[in-house]
Amino acid sequence: MSQPSRLLAALSALGLAVLVLSLGALFIGSAPVSPGAVLAVLGGRAAAPVDEVVVWSLRLPRILAALLAGGALAVAGVGFQGLTRNPLAEPSVLGVSSGAAFGVVMAQVFGLRAGLLDTLGLTAFAFAGAFVAGVAVYAIAARAGGLPVHTLVLAGVIVGIFFASAITVLISIVDFDRLGGVIHWLLGNLAPIAPVPLGLFTLVAALGFWLVLGQSRQLNLLALGEEGALQLGVDAERVKRRIFGGAALLTAAVVAFVGPIGFVGLIVPHALRLMLGPDNRVLVPTALLGGGLFLLAADTLARNLIAPAELSVGVITSFCGAPFFIYLLRSPAARIGP
Amino acid sequence: MRRSPRIPVLVIGALMGLLAWPALAAPFTVSDQTGRSLGLAGPPRRIVSLVPSVTETLFAIGAQAVLVGVTDFCDYPREAGRKPSVGGMVAPSLETIVTLTPDLVVATTAGNREETFTQLDRLRIPVYLVNPTRLADVLDLIARLGALTGHEAEAARLAASLGARIKAVSERVTPLPRPRVLYVLWPEPLIVPARGTLVSELLALAGADSVTADGGNGYPRYSLEAAVAGSPEVIILARHGGRPGPMAGDKWQRFAELPAVKSGRVYTVSGDLLHRYGPRVVDGLEQLARLIHPEAFGKAGRP
Amino acid sequence: MTPLVECRRVGFSYPVRDGGARGAFAIHELSFSVEAGEILGVIGPNASGKTTLIRLLSRVLVPARGEIRLGGRPLGGFTRAAVATEIAVVPQDVPQSFPYTVEELVLMGRFPHAPGRLFESALDLDHARRAMAATGVFDLRGEPLGRLSGGERQRVMLARALAQRPRLLVLDEPTAHLDLRYQAECVGLLRRLNREAGLGIVLVSHDLNLAAEVCDRLLLLAGGRAARVGPVEAVLDEATLEAVYGCRIAVDKHPATGRPTVQVLWPT
Repeated sequence: MSQPSRLLAALSALGLAVLVLSLGALFIGSAPVSPGAVLAVLGGRAAAPVDEVVVWSLRLPRILAALLAGGALAVAGVGFQGLTRNPLAEPSVLGVSSGAAFGVVMAQVFGLRAGLLDTLGLTAFAFAGAFVAGVAVYAIAARAGGLPVHTLVLAGVIVGIFFASAITVLISIVDFDRLGGVIHWLLGNLAPIAPVPLGLFTLVAALGFWLVLGQSRQLNLLALGEEGALQLGVDAERVKRRIFGGAALLTAAVVAFVGPIGFVGLIVPHALRLMLGPDNRVLVPTALLGGGLFLLAADTLARNLIAPAELSVGVITSFCGAPFFIYLLRSPAARIGP
Repeated sequence: MRRSPRIPVLVIGALMGLLAWPALAAPFTVSDQTGRSLGLAGPPRRIVSLVPSVTETLFAIGAQAVLVGVTDFCDYPREAGRKPSVGGMVAPSLETIVTLTPDLVVATTAGNREETFTQLDRLRIPVYLVNPTRLADVLDLIARLGALTGHEAEAARLAASLGARIKAVSERVTPLPRPRVLYVLWPEPLIVPARGTLVSELLALAGADSVTADGGNGYPRYSLEAAVAGSPEVIILARHGGRPGPMAGDKWQRFAELPAVKSGRVYTVSGDLLHRYGPRVVDGLEQLARLIHPEAFGKAGRP
Repeated sequence: MTPLVECRRVGFSYPVRDGGARGAFAIHELSFSVEAGEILGVIGPNASGKTTLIRLLSRVLVPARGEIRLGGRPLGGFTRAAVATEIAVVPQDVPQSFPYTVEELVLMGRFPHAPGRLFESALDLDHARRAMAATGVFDLRGEPLGRLSGGERQRVMLARALAQRPRLLVLDEPTAHLDLRYQAECVGLLRRLNREAGLGIVLVSHDLNLAAEVCDRLLLLAGGRAARVGPVEAVLDEATLEAVYGCRIAVDKHPATGRPTVQVLWPT
């Protein structure tokens, strides 16, 4: 099967799954809205205002947030794994998500006191933190003439550890009362996002996706080693910059608009690779859908398992991700390696 | 002569009407405990409380009829448990809140998350924020809730009786010497009440000299050394959730030279009484006073 | 006739590593040319600059001094992709755990022809298939590289280089690690490609006899300089070789082909 047709088939299957799950998730929730009422709301027919609010303002935005965040994280994971040629790479390994998280925790602990928080304000802190982390990683790793991949990974780990420690310091001095909120955010949660931030999130994620997709063919060639790729006409430095930038942008966007969610960027690219092969041109677009599907499924569980209380989706992704991965790894047709 | 003043008056009137539009459209304007102004359509008739203290207070002033939703932690009085729950304090279910169609949600900046307020704001559900840090705030909260729910009379009565009890305790202990007291909010890590907290204020009112009163702001993590160096004559351990847990007294028994341990004055109190900003705070105060000054109140030992 | 590739007084040195006792390795004043359709052998001891030369020719490195010309035009004027459509390098092997199949690897050779495309065109597929057929790996096209033998992998990489449709093929130690049989196959293949397609070949090898047998001319490198360049017999001269390799050497004539054969005179 040729790559384009394989891609098309995978996208169709995933697209269908996403549609079905999204629709299904609209019907499930802690508010007792009957299926008939949901249909009435969707169809634009007369419906109770409460039902309309629940479907349009709560469930739908949260579903969209899950799809977008999951897709962004998975694409970032494909990019980082291809860039570092390391199967354990995931968005958090390159320090960017810790930096973004640090920015947000700083804002939560110091900047914004009693009174309503401007969501955009938190987002700005997240991007600032991510930017500082990204620049730090780049500065530490870059040598004259290039960005050696192994130092990139090391620099990312170092910067990630630094910011994680900084977050721990902040946690240790935060008010007892605010502690619960900060820790809750750090576990990774999805919430309904308002239209304007959602639109912004989509734009930023689209930019990151475009950057990574645009270099996905070159990313394949990087598997030959940098020298091999250069000899085939690949501008290796440009590829690395764009992939790093795109993946960092995607990661920062997720942390900024949603929060730090782990595991998606590690598991989904691997699972897709096991099923579809290592070609990044196929993996990047399918990761967008596959990641969204995975996170949407996890979040639907998270908000319904112990309703009306909610689990953090980060808890679900860790719990469900590992066994699934083990199963795939042991399946006979496994093709491993970035 | 009649026409000329009319038109400017109309214009000015219209302008004022325009400027006052928000208030006109919202005939019931209140300002919450953080100073924010909320415009409501009328006195709230369906309140969701995200704060256990507020739930307690609403019941205490007889306003429980307007309470349509509470959190899992709103466990006092017993009847509160029968109200529909919206989940935890940190992550309440927005869907459940919306389904209850409240016209007001009462929340606190200490315990609820600002993300929740933003979401409720977006759903156009007014949020009344409270943030009591002192005893005066607690009494103020009672008055506010009374005004909000039209139960001003009961609120005033409650506040008056609480005020009288507070005064009684204060007068009883004023002439007495103040023992050094260590209050343990949480044993590991050691968390104690310091400047600007309700518990510190209560300890002072109960006639204690809290060894951690100046040890920082809020409820800081405290070093065990410093606590022991304060040489407390009384140690009070807060019990959370009704079961004797990590705050078990035997941890302190190894400091046998501490005056408190030597004289056996290591007590436990219910954290719910002292950490919630509801009317039971005064019960907590009286309990503290009895433990710290048994000679003045006639009863010593565990409550 | 303009040479296919010409190096004019090329100089290059790697950046000095901190704490290195000796100076950084460098190439000095290297001048030689490769004519269209000829097979030039590059020989010399380890660390004489053979690998560096490959990198310079394939634009991985850029000369600090001097100039490299491709078809008369300076190499620096070409884009990286353009260079790759003219000069194809066949490395010794692919990196460990290379996950792609034979066909996917060969198709990578088509990248420089249309670097802006996301997927390969039908024409690309056609070229790739022909290249695989030329090196006899067409039947293996669906296999992951990890499952092939050393000789098969060699042929696959050659196919990839051919898919680039270059005018010059640069082979880095093509027969190292190969069984004799595969060495012979490789040589036969190269000769056929050279004869039939008129492909210019630069063969970097430490196997002097292979070079003597296969190549038209030789470039002998020593310490980053051209010790000798010219016809095989001229370069494979005992005195020169002994000076460069630092051991005693005897050069004979091959009984069957008449080409020089080089033998080390082992110490007793």
